[in-house]
Amino acid sequence: MSAPAPTRKPRPVAAVRFGDILAAERIKIITLPAAWFAMAVASGAGTLLGIIAATDAVRIAGPGGPIPVARLGTLLLAPAYAFVSIAVFAAGSEYRGGQLRVSLAAAPDRNRLFAAKLTVSATLSLVASIPAVLPGYVLQHSAAVHAWERGAFVGFLALIAAYLLLSLIGHGFAVIAKSAITPLAVLFIAPFLISPALRSILPQVVRFLPHEAALSLLKLPVDPATALGPRAGLLVLAAWAAASVAAAWTVFVRAES
Amino acid sequence: MIEIKGLSKHYRNNRAVDDITFTAEPGHVTGFLGPNGAGKSSTLRILLGLDAATSGQALIGGKRYRDLRHPLRTVGALLDGAGPVPERRAIDHLSWIAQSNRISRGRVREVLDLVGLGEAARRRVKKYSLGMKQRLGIAAALLGEPEVLILDEPVNGLDPDGIRWVRTFLRDYAAAGRTVLLSSHLMTEMAGTADAVVIINRGRVVSQGSLAEVTAGHATLETAFFALTGDRIGPRW
Repeated sequence: MSAPAPTRKPRPVAAVRFGDILAAERIKIITLPAAWFAMAVASGAGTLLGIIAATDAVRIAGPGGPIPVARLGTLLLAPAYAFVSIAVFAAGSEYRGGQLRVSLAAAPDRNRLFAAKLTVSATLSLVASIPAVLPGYVLQHSAAVHAWERGAFVGFLALIAAYLLLSLIGHGFAVIAKSAITPLAVLFIAPFLISPALRSILPQVVRFLPHEAALSLLKLPVDPATALGPRAGLLVLAAWAAASVAAAWTVFVRAES
Repeated sequence: MIEIKGLSKHYRNNRAVDDITFTAEPGHVTGFLGPNGAGKSSTLRILLGLDAATSGQALIGGKRYRDLRHPLRTVGALLDGAGPVPERRAIDHLSWIAQSNRISRGRVREVLDLVGLGEAARRRVKKYSLGMKQRLGIAAALLGEPEVLILDEPVNGLDPDGIRWVRTFLRDYAAAGRTVLLSSHLMTEMAGTADAVVIINRGRVVSQGSLAEVTAGHATLETAFFALTGDRIGPRW
């Protein structure tokens, strides 16, 4: 340690603005190694699946014969769950190492802090979803993309919306769970274990779960007979995201006051 | 100035803090002493707006912490259990804190050099020793050049050179007219640093005043502490 610094009079400064907290939250997310790892995994897996789906080089055995990867919605949406980790880490990392206390000391207004974190998490998720999704999507739908078909553009927007809304669900869940691990475990397990187990006994309920709603939005439902339409899928997914964020906001403000 | 007025914090069956009143004046290092579970951490958490009081007030410069316009330029705090995400680099940890309160990036470098972490600034915190983590916490507290410093066990994990640095730094900081509230278990260190002392036990203030007043009739601050808190050295250990 060096010698004590000479004391100085504090410099006059303007009041702390919401934009300052936004900028701080942005630094928090982009300096988390786990967020970059999640981005790389999501982008890499999405691109790989795009190549496989485009070339039809691999088919998965199904009850009615081999199924092309391009029709396996759950598999094609799997990279989204790596992507969701970005928002989950953004919210859940506050509870690692006692960072939340530092955050609250820096920004004591709970509503302001939550709003800033949510805004940055949503904005970065939206921006990052484009490079995460684009290569795989273009590879898989190259003909439609090159022909500038409207359907290709709408499908791309639907995929971006699914990534964003699933990220918001994960963000809220992480605040409620006060952890990054629990929401990731639940979000990964639900589509692959819980939904298949419930599908045969409660098909009318399962279609309203986030993963199934996202598949309906993407026109890739597991069971077309009970699936929602794309617009209904979007609304259901948006409702899950709104509920998750609202619950998280309430929990955050009450628990940390 | 820090003012604690009739502060209480009650949990279901526990009075963690029970109607305590004291002040920490500018120009002084005020020691805040008490055995484990005496209510020190609860008091500091309430003071920093991290917990709500059952009754009473905890004010900094006449305001609640949550009402401060520039929290980190007014108060710098080092609290137990408040630290960085271990995977983040030290410089990034300080950068977001600085950004949140409009503190310049240059100041981040200044405080890192001040606490001797300039060379290790780009290392991830999980690779830091306990002493380095403590120095990073002190750097974070100093970022805003605050008028008030609240430090909980600041010399924990520091080597002798670091301990001496903290002692000298805090003395100089208070001598410049600033307020320092220092919580520590190290009696010798406290006796060499504090001008005034507040001792709490089981949630209540059992003694407060200048160091000379509190230690009057006792050989050392340590013997005064044990006499006042009813604690004894040895048997339990």
